Amino acid sequence: MAIVVVVIVVIAGTLTAFYLGLFAAPRAPYQLQLWYNNDGHYGDTEDELATVLKSSIEACGRVLVTLRSDPWAVYRQNWAAGTMPLFLLGWYPDYFDSDDYISPFLSISGARALGSRYNNSQVDQWITDEQTTSDPAVRMARFTSIQEKLAEDAPYIPLFSGNAHVAYVAGIQNVNLHPVSFKWFIMDKPGATTLTGATTDKIISLDPASAYDYFSIEVINQVFDTLLVYEPVQSKIMPGLATEIPTVANGGITNGGRTYTYHLKPGVTFHDGTPLNSSVVKRSIDRVIRLDLPASAAFLLYDVGALGRDPTNGNNTAVGTIETPDPLTVVFNLARPVSFFNDLMAFSVSAPVPWDYSQTGEQPSTVGSVIGTGPYRMTQHIENQLVVFDRFANYHSPDLYQSFGINTIPVEDQVTVNIRTTAAALKNDIETKQVDVVYRTLTPTDLTDLQSRASTLGITVTVGASPQIRYLVFQTETITDVRIRQAIAYSVDRAAIDNVVFNGQVVPLYSMLPPEMPYHSPVFQTKYGAVPNCAQANALLSAAGFFVGLGARELIARDT
Amino acid sequence: MARGQSLLAYALMRLVIAIPMLFILLTIIFVVLRVMPGDPLLALWGGRTPPASAIESARVQLGLDKPPIVQYWIYLTGVLTGNLGVSIGELYRGQPVWNQIYLRLPATIELAIGSMLVASTVGILLGVVAGTRRDKPSDLSIRLYGTIIWVIPVFWLGIMFQLVFAVWLGWLPPHGRWSGTDVPTRVTGLYTIDALLEGSFPKFLKALSFLVLPCLTLGLILSGFFTKAVRANMLRTVNADYTEAARARGVSERNVVYRHAFRNALVPVVTILGLTFAILFAGAVLTERTFSIEGIGLLLLNSITSKDMTMIQGVVVVYAAFIIAISVVIDIVGALIDPRIRL
Repeated sequence: MAIVVVVIVVIAGTLTAFYLGLFAAPRAPYQLQLWYNNDGHYGDTEDELATVLKSSIEACGRVLVTLRSDPWAVYRQNWAAGTMPLFLLGWYPDYFDSDDYISPFLSISGARALGSRYNNSQVDQWITDEQTTSDPAVRMARFTSIQEKLAEDAPYIPLFSGNAHVAYVAGIQNVNLHPVSFKWFIMDKPGATTLTGATTDKIISLDPASAYDYFSIEVINQVFDTLLVYEPVQSKIMPGLATEIPTVANGGITNGGRTYTYHLKPGVTFHDGTPLNSSVVKRSIDRVIRLDLPASAAFLLYDVGALGRDPTNGNNTAVGTIETPDPLTVVFNLARPVSFFNDLMAFSVSAPVPWDYSQTGEQPSTVGSVIGTGPYRMTQHIENQLVVFDRFANYHSPDLYQSFGINTIPVEDQVTVNIRTTAAALKNDIETKQVDVVYRTLTPTDLTDLQSRASTLGITVTVGASPQIRYLVFQTETITDVRIRQAIAYSVDRAAIDNVVFNGQVVPLYSMLPPEMPYHSPVFQTKYGAVPNCAQANALLSAAGFFVGLGARELIARDT
Repeated sequence: MARGQSLLAYALMRLVIAIPMLFILLTIIFVVLRVMPGDPLLALWGGRTPPASAIESARVQLGLDKPPIVQYWIYLTGVLTGNLGVSIGELYRGQPVWNQIYLRLPATIELAIGSMLVASTVGILLGVVAGTRRDKPSDLSIRLYGTIIWVIPVFWLGIMFQLVFAVWLGWLPPHGRWSGTDVPTRVTGLYTIDALLEGSFPKFLKALSFLVLPCLTLGLILSGFFTKAVRANMLRTVNADYTEAARARGVSERNVVYRHAFRNALVPVVTILGLTFAILFAGAVLTERTFSIEGIGLLLLNSITSKDMTMIQGVVVVYAAFIIAISVVIDIVGALIDPRIRL
């Protein structure tokens, strides 16, 4: 009898315990792999950045992050294959239109290529709308909707805008952190005719048909001109080789945004004395498209810019796409409206090159072979050591920036840029004043050190926003549950990234479209807040079925 | 005459053996690079995403669309005809591999020669002193030096030298190979030699000033190892039967040490010196990086990270050629010093 009672009590107790959930198997934490590049593609801070992200996400207590890394060639392959569920990337725009921060990430084709595989036909349509209209009201409405949807679906988590920095000997003027390209030709060292600089960047190619890296483009921008160029401080376009910016109002944009007409300045010559005319412009653009060199930006013209590539016309643009009604007029007939075509004409890939440039391959990057219409001629180039620019006496527009207070360009007769291997060398250069200007890239520690000793050293250190953005990518076909992505968005600590990794020198980012660009809206701040919100993150994870006690942040919050 | 003939036959045999060695090495490198993960073509565009047609066009232009066996044949025939191909990596794309090696090799050669001069001078001198004064204070000090200098990280010592001699004292340039635009006209690519060929002694001194810190850094580090190697061999030979026999015959201690013990101690040391020298030709990556010297070591490092297969292959070919040439020279020198080696 006693045994029966004991058995009944045990059974009843067990059932009660199950009812109360005491024996419920604890649901596991969410396991997440966070990938980063480990061979310096984004500089020397990447492992630290990944570590801070890991600790920030884990601090809420319900996610366990495993860090994984690969060198760039493998990393790139992984992301194409979709094997990284969450990974770090960076973006530097090609053309300075808001579209270049949106369409590569959120259009269906762009998102597949950039690794998130986000697929939303409504967003795709909004992108097509903003790309094909020049009406600011329509664009504002579309960019607002797109950014709100971005925050809601969180296929990416914007983290921060990179910093740009330059250190130079005190007294040198016009050292601007231009968002598009550093302009050596406007720098003024009072009382001197020459200027020396240093960088850790490398020249890859000085052929506009091939160059697609920051420093090569920077050098090209000293030696070549484009139809439209940028103002000395801001990323606002202005006429370069063209007499005016085509607009609907001045008749330069017609046919519903499909036709762009540029009028060239008369009397422009290349450094070799040959004339610039509309035929040269057409031949230059056709050359880029026909060669379609590996790793080049040619696709920006034939694909993004809708100029096309016609196999029946030798892979040039199709007959009639680029017309030259007279020597000083060039007309582009696009396959579809492209609202940012003017920005593409300000990109180095569109720089006209002399008639005799190689038509079968890449032009060498040696002295005598690099010939533009820009303010400087390249007079010396020792690979990976230095590049020297000398004033082009017949520059077509020495008064280009007069309205900005720069009377004549180029300002100095000669500029020498030394190429260094390490950031430490760059720091040495400015500490010992071996050079006047060092630009790209000091480590955050060296930058802080130079800032603190600037007055003692007699230098000026300027830090500003960079157009580069850094962000996390979710492979949305792997992490399909939007609640998981939102939970991670709630737990990311941008302030920790800024303070721990970058010594307070980056700017937290709350949209893929940075604040400097038109139509920016800080949607992630609005939706997820500026500081980590573990309660919200954990509620979402619980709803998604993941649970493991209290996180460090919650414990701290309860203790205080 | 007989001795000369046998030495020649010995050297020729070494060269003949080198040919299949090189072939095997090239094949292994070719296969390994294609088996390893990573697509250099995707990496070419950095973080950007061109249309698939652009990537395929690049694949065709760079010959990577061909079957591996065809690529292998093109590669082998290219190497045999002196054509190392064109870079397919992010940093050097489109540029002939040999041009890049040709540009950078002189920097590495200058660094290697300078470092070996420092290392062998310091290492042999200290090694002989320590080996002939076993367990005396000078021996203990030298052993301590050898241990400490060998374990110091090369980049740390380099940075310290830069800090003291370049930043604080301002005596020497901190990095690079040259400053200014008056680079000596290229004949050999070695700035010191080119400056002399140009007849400019100030330029020679300037080129030398850029070499002092990197060569001192690398040379001193290597001297730790050489010191220990020379000391160990000296200890062995100083007490060997033949040196005892020399002493018993009344040969002066000085002659015993330098004509008998030192000469015999040199045989293994020559091998070590030679192989270290050959390795330095492949590039002292950390030293090159610390001192911003664009040598072949950095070229290889950058090529590996971007999986620049043709560049890696090219550098390895040149590297292998150096190793083989220096190995043959070592063998011949060894055979000259110790005829038993030829037996």
